[in-house]
Amino acid sequence: MLDFLQAVSDGVLFGATYALIGIGFTLVFGVMHKINMAYAAASVGAAYTGLLALQVMAGAPPWVVFACAFLAGGLLGWLVYLACFHFIPLSHPLATLMSTVGMLLLIDEVVVHVTDGMPQSYPAMFDDVMLRAGEFTLRGDLLLVFGVCVVAMACLLVLLYRTRLGLATRAVSQQPVAAQLCGIQVARVNAMTFVITGLLGGLAGAMIGASVGTLSPLLSGPLTVKGLIVTVIGGLGSIPGAIVAGLLVGGFENVFQLYRGVTERDLYVMLLLFVFLIFRPGGIFAARAGRD
Amino acid sequence: MDFYFGLIQLIGVHTLLGLSAYIVLLTGQVTLAQAAFYAIGAYVSGMLTVLAGWHIVPALGVGGLAGAAAACAVGFPALRVKGLMLVIATLAFGEGVRIFFFNFDYQIAKGDIKVGPLGGEGFRQIRFFPENGWTTLEVMLFIWAFVIAVMALLWWFDRSRYGAVLRAVGEDEVAAQSVGVNLTAVKVSAMTVGGAIAGIAGSLYAHYTTHIEHSSFNVLVATFAIAYPIVGGLQSVFGTLAAVIFVQGFLIEGLRGLGDWRNLLFGALIVLAMNLRPQGIFWRRGA
Amino acid sequence: MLELKGVTRHFGGVRAVDGLDLVVPEGSIFGLIGPNGSGKSTTVNLVTGLFPLTAGTIRFRGETLDDLPTHRRLQKGIARTFQNIRLFGRLTVWQNLWVAQNSPEDRARRGFVARWLGGNRNAREEIAPLLEFSGLAHKADDPAASLSFGEQRRLELARALAARPKLLLLDEPAAGMNSEEIAQLRERILALRARGITILLIEHVMELVMGVTDRIAVLNFGQKIAEGAPAEIQADPAVRKAYLGGDTA
Repeated sequence: MLDFLQAVSDGVLFGATYALIGIGFTLVFGVMHKINMAYAAASVGAAYTGLLALQVMAGAPPWVVFACAFLAGGLLGWLVYLACFHFIPLSHPLATLMSTVGMLLLIDEVVVHVTDGMPQSYPAMFDDVMLRAGEFTLRGDLLLVFGVCVVAMACLLVLLYRTRLGLATRAVSQQPVAAQLCGIQVARVNAMTFVITGLLGGLAGAMIGASVGTLSPLLSGPLTVKGLIVTVIGGLGSIPGAIVAGLLVGGFENVFQLYRGVTERDLYVMLLLFVFLIFRPGGIFAARAGRD
Repeated sequence: MDFYFGLIQLIGVHTLLGLSAYIVLLTGQVTLAQAAFYAIGAYVSGMLTVLAGWHIVPALGVGGLAGAAAACAVGFPALRVKGLMLVIATLAFGEGVRIFFFNFDYQIAKGDIKVGPLGGEGFRQIRFFPENGWTTLEVMLFIWAFVIAVMALLWWFDRSRYGAVLRAVGEDEVAAQSVGVNLTAVKVSAMTVGGAIAGIAGSLYAHYTTHIEHSSFNVLVATFAIAYPIVGGLQSVFGTLAAVIFVQGFLIEGLRGLGDWRNLLFGALIVLAMNLRPQGIFWRRGA
Repeated sequence: MLELKGVTRHFGGVRAVDGLDLVVPEGSIFGLIGPNGSGKSTTVNLVTGLFPLTAGTIRFRGETLDDLPTHRRLQKGIARTFQNIRLFGRLTVWQNLWVAQNSPEDRARRGFVARWLGGNRNAREEIAPLLEFSGLAHKADDPAASLSFGEQRRLELARALAARPKLLLLDEPAAGMNSEEIAQLRERILALRARGITILLIEHVMELVMGVTDRIAVLNFGQKIAEGAPAEIQADPAVRKAYLGGDTA
């Protein structure tokens, strides 16, 4: 029983990173009705870029690495936008989808080449801190990860609901043509959406590295799939859904791992997705169907 | 010379893989599951020739049927999932199948050694062709016999009412059902045919490479499968063939000096192609 | 031929159609008019089965339609055109008609394999008269998206006819037409009735409605507020009020 609770707790804390990745996918979908397949890869790539800080400034504190990953994520997000969505007309959805897949492959390969395919260790903070309640422990590094992600989500919500950019973003996601007619520069909003989700992604990648202790180039494949699973379970386009689903998937994943081991764990996460697709294809917070 | 035969074998198998996605894409269903049906065909036919001693041709047939059956089973729930959600669901399904084979052991003893799939190690010694004295040239011709047959079949579909109905469904489902088209039958049938083609492709792949493992059927392969018809354009099967030749021929031959950087170029090439010709490389106005 | 009883459709809180009773006699040309948002298109979607009913029944030739899916209703003889033209733009003109040959008569005519996988020569011969009727024969091999607006409207109608319907629902076919085109449309509709097709005409353009229908029903806010011959409807003060919001001469 204790093992179970421990697994759930650790999983949910880690799940905050999945929530961020899910938010990234779902926000782009909400605003542009497109899936950015390169998102998780870009997040991992940004996390790696954060490690460059250690090259430049040996012995830099971990938070510098995290900050670099954060910024690199924003830059990468903007690059993905340029390569995949700025020039290709949105009326060719297959073309934009394929180009994001192309970027996914490209980013992955660059990471593999630069690191020679070897996993890199990632700095962590508070990994020596453990809060105990009897046999039950809360790892300090996981708490930090959770905390950072929560702060990031809160900032995002403030951005979306209390700033003009956020208002413009929400307008574009509902009626892009009308938004344009109101003077909103849709291309700018789209680009900013990619930058913002990129920032979140870079942070998520760094947090994943920090909690696992290493970053591997093989991470982006499973992360893409899990991120998309979170997005679907939460409901495409719903940020609260992505948050809840991220925590859910994190928790379930860890429990599956407890009972079935690491190699089979991901299989059960897929099954979780399929269960949702059968019984609640709209996701936890499904958008209400309209008249059309 | 053998090198070129090997390349042509690869192009053949990839063309089949691309064609398996082509027919499904016509109906507007974007599927990242073709690699999964490819894998199923590969393992099933491999097990039949290696473990049960079957001849390649019936093993191929069963491989194709296995792919078709899996695709049909996926096709029905796929109906409930629209658009981009289907991409995600098929991606997850494909990864699930890959993980399944990663954990799949089924070995029997043959003389001193054990043969059969062994989880992460994969399935080695699928040696029907070498054991029966097939030359590289003969294997190549065998593969291409199937490629030509499938291309002819899909080309015929394209000219028939079935092809027009497939494309009508892909263009506007509401209009299609309002003129009497049974969406379920059309979409599931396309998925099933695609699964059969992928299963045959996988069976051929397993036997010409003699060694398959879970990582041979990953997201990259699933991507190749839809990349070919999208990049080549959905107007005709020849687009897919041309895209395979362009990608594999250009990457392998033209960039051989770049070695490991090939996959990187593949990604960049796709991005470039989609920016320059979003409708597909071989699109003609009014086609 | 078509009977609606208590037909109701809610979308969340909106009552798009509310307790509608309607009887469309066989062989008639029946008009359905009303201001925007009155539920006309929703009624068409309910009859063809694109939306499920919230309440009520729809009977076609004595048979209850219930949960019958859209493509099966077409096979029973109900076809429709769309307000916003929904052609298969990338298919050619004649292919648009080919795809629609799903009536029981067409299905009986040839075997399953021949119908789906056979060549197109027979089909083109069968479709030729329909193309002639719609004035599109010279464009048979052009992609539907390349047609002019008027030609697209004619193709939309031709495609519905390719399904050999007994009841044809026309959803605002005259939108955007000038008087001459409306007169041609009127002739075509009368020709269709002469061939034995019952027509339910949803329309805004009064020039067409008054000139071609036998009987008209008026909807407002999802409910029927009037029904009668064209002359009666024109004189009805409730109708005037719904359209114009007050009495006008």
